[in-house]
Amino acid sequence: MNIFRRPPLVVALGASAIFLLARFVAGASAPEFAARLSTEAPASITEAGGGGHVRAIFLTQRGLPSRHPLLVGGEPLDETTRADIAHAVASIPGVGGIRWSDGDMMAMGGEQVFRPLHCQEDVQALLRARSIRFEESSSRMDIGSDELIDEVVTALRPCLGAIILITGHTDNSGPEPGNIALSSERANAVRAALVEHGIPADGLRTRGVGSRRPVEGLEPTDPANRRIEFSVIATEPIRPTPVDTPAPR
Amino acid sequence: MPIWMEVFVLMLLAYMAGLGIGWSIWGRAS
Repeated sequence: MNIFRRPPLVVALGASAIFLLARFVAGASAPEFAARLSTEAPASITEAGGGGHVRAIFLTQRGLPSRHPLLVGGEPLDETTRADIAHAVASIPGVGGIRWSDGDMMAMGGEQVFRPLHCQEDVQALLRARSIRFEESSSRMDIGSDELIDEVVTALRPCLGAIILITGHTDNSGPEPGNIALSSERANAVRAALVEHGIPADGLRTRGVGSRRPVEGLEPTDPANRRIEFSVIATEPIRPTPVDTPAPR
Repeated sequence: MPIWMEVFVLMLLAYMAGLGIGWSIWGRAS
């Protein structure tokens, strides 16, 4: 049988051959290339005012040679100097995009990340004025709540990438086990409505706490305790794509 | 991205382009 009559097989063989060739070519020349870049980098860094502080590491996290250096040790320097250093290193022929170890989402971690709590506040402000209403003893939302859901979706958009907890509450009419189930069903109903409006489902968590946590200053029997609360419990900011332009950090 | 992967991506793109051009010239006829 002639293998050239089976195009997918030929294409796959070609791709594998290219994979092997790339490994071979890069394996032979990449370490030397990266070593050349890392010997040229210190001069540029010193020229830009970062001598003694900043080092450029031309290795990936797994230790493979890379054109994209990780700059470490720039913490005490001001933004302008850091920008100058990044430009200087990026202008060495062959160098790709720059990353700073302390200013990049992909770097070591351990530093405080920006918490977009403002959207939690925006949503709470919306829900203070009006609330998502449910039919009594049911997890079906009132028809009027649709518009409010729309506004909540708009307010939640800046938090995309964060993990948002939807908590359902009830008043204390009725037995507590039922209340917890009901509040959790209501939270799930809100989650489903948000997902329907385009909020990614993997960023939404739900729980029902029944009547255990009434609104401060209200009697547990007050129907106003039937409510939904939103809170941002964790942030996973959307990672910026590394591009081949030097940035201050 | 390690260097070998950049090389691989570039070569793969060239390969795909070559396949595309080759197919559009000779592939249609047969």
